Amino acid sequence: MTEKSLLNLVVQKIRGGEGEILPILRTIPIFEGLTFTDLKKIELIVHKRTFMPDEIIFHERQPGAGIYIIKKGLVELAKTVNKERVKISELKDGEFFGEMSLLDEYPRSAEAKAVEKTETLGIFRPDLFDLIEHNPKLGYKILLRLSKRLASRLRETTEKKLKETE
Amino acid sequence: MEKTDFQKALKVFDIIALGAVLLGLLVILYLVRGLLTPFIVAFVIAFFLNPIIDYMEGGGINRTLAIVVLILLSVLVLLIALKLTSPMIEAEIAGLKDNAPVYNHRIQEGLTRGIDFLDKNVGFLPRGMLEKALQEKIKGFASGMGGIDLVINIVRELLASLIIIPVVVFFLLKDGRKIKKMLIEYVPNKYFETSLVLFHKIDQQVSNYIRGQLIDNLIVGLLAIISLYLLNVNYSFLIGAVLGVVNLIPFVGPLMGLAFGSLLILVDTGSTVDLIKFIGVCVGVRALDDVVIWPLALSKSVHIHPLMVIILIILGGFLHGILGMLLAVPLYCSIKVTFQILYRGLIEYGNW
Repeated sequence: MTEKSLLNLVVQKIRGGEGEILPILRTIPIFEGLTFTDLKKIELIVHKRTFMPDEIIFHERQPGAGIYIIKKGLVELAKTVNKERVKISELKDGEFFGEMSLLDEYPRSAEAKAVEKTETLGIFRPDLFDLIEHNPKLGYKILLRLSKRLASRLRETTEKKLKETE
Repeated sequence: MEKTDFQKALKVFDIIALGAVLLGLLVILYLVRGLLTPFIVAFVIAFFLNPIIDYMEGGGINRTLAIVVLILLSVLVLLIALKLTSPMIEAEIAGLKDNAPVYNHRIQEGLTRGIDFLDKNVGFLPRGMLEKALQEKIKGFASGMGGIDLVINIVRELLASLIIIPVVVFFLLKDGRKIKKMLIEYVPNKYFETSLVLFHKIDQQVSNYIRGQLIDNLIVGLLAIISLYLLNVNYSFLIGAVLGVVNLIPFVGPLMGLAFGSLLILVDTGSTVDLIKFIGVCVGVRALDDVVIWPLALSKSVHIHPLMVIILIILGGFLHGILGMLLAVPLYCSIKVTFQILYRGLIEYGNW
């Protein structure tokens, strides 16, 4: 065994393995490209929540508190239009919803309901703000990614509106 | 969706179960109350040190390393402070213990003179009624002098916990977030988001309040001790320390401190000059506290109307004595935040 690989092994032993949460976090755009150490810090504020079939994850108009990432399962997003429940989409493993609630507690725009038994990873605003405050460098990276995502959403909406008016 | 009777019953059962768990926790806390002192002290110290650790961590220092360095530094500062002040503290405690019977006698004498005066001059009171009532109070006060031993015992207990406290502080600072996370994990999905936000807001308000108060009391206590010491007033350390501690209770605390100090000076030397010096220090420190220290230390803390604070203090004192007075404001803040968040959840969004 070379010196370098031995050192790598020691470093890996000290800092711990990837576990099951880190690979999932890496796939989320707002955490894309973050270092192992950064992701380990985020892992500390991840809450694992399991929802039973038909269990409501959050209601429409409920003050938003954070993002949910689907680890395993199926989630239905629906809106109430003219007192009728209208399904918007269905999300599966690896997909996420509610990321805008990481910025403010604006009411949720849709209802999220577990279709089958669903395991989720939740990251919530108070914890994230705490993390950002204590780790400004990491906070800057997350906020930059979140802003990029917001900008791209805004661009999409503007283009859609322009097409509608044309 | 209409709720069935079964669902309603389940909700009632949930509430009863939650109440039972909370009650059980309170009973356990009551049973182990004797062991709680070092833990309460550790909690308060952790609250106090946490922002410094967060600041160091934000600057790129490893959290564990920051905690170890800060605890070691704090212990060092405390030991140096104790070493420097212990002869003074010991002398004051010894003096107080030795002179307790003399002070007790002087108080009795003073009260008897007062009773005689009232009996002679206030004609409508039945003769001897005041004497009887005050004699009972004196008895209570005489046994209250035993309270000095109680204070000494608490200090001794805390000194014995010198190992436990830093260890608990270390783990609270290091794993505080994990502990909070672990606690919140038990909340059912339905109430999870609301509870998380609630938990965080209460934590923020209460810790800001405790931190602000501690800084405020520390400065008030130190200022009082130094001023009284420089002015050559006996028991400067004890009186200053009491002024600092009772300052925890808004409005009423400083008056209690003033009463305690004045009484001690009167039964000790009876010197009017000392009494004037002491009252001067109280007024000066109070003014400085109101104008400079309090706004700086508690600027981020809760904003409650002064009248509300007075009502809370009276209510707290009525329900649970000094402890009730101390806890009234932080408890009120927690309840206020809880209602604000539940109101939004229940009334504005109807999600519960």
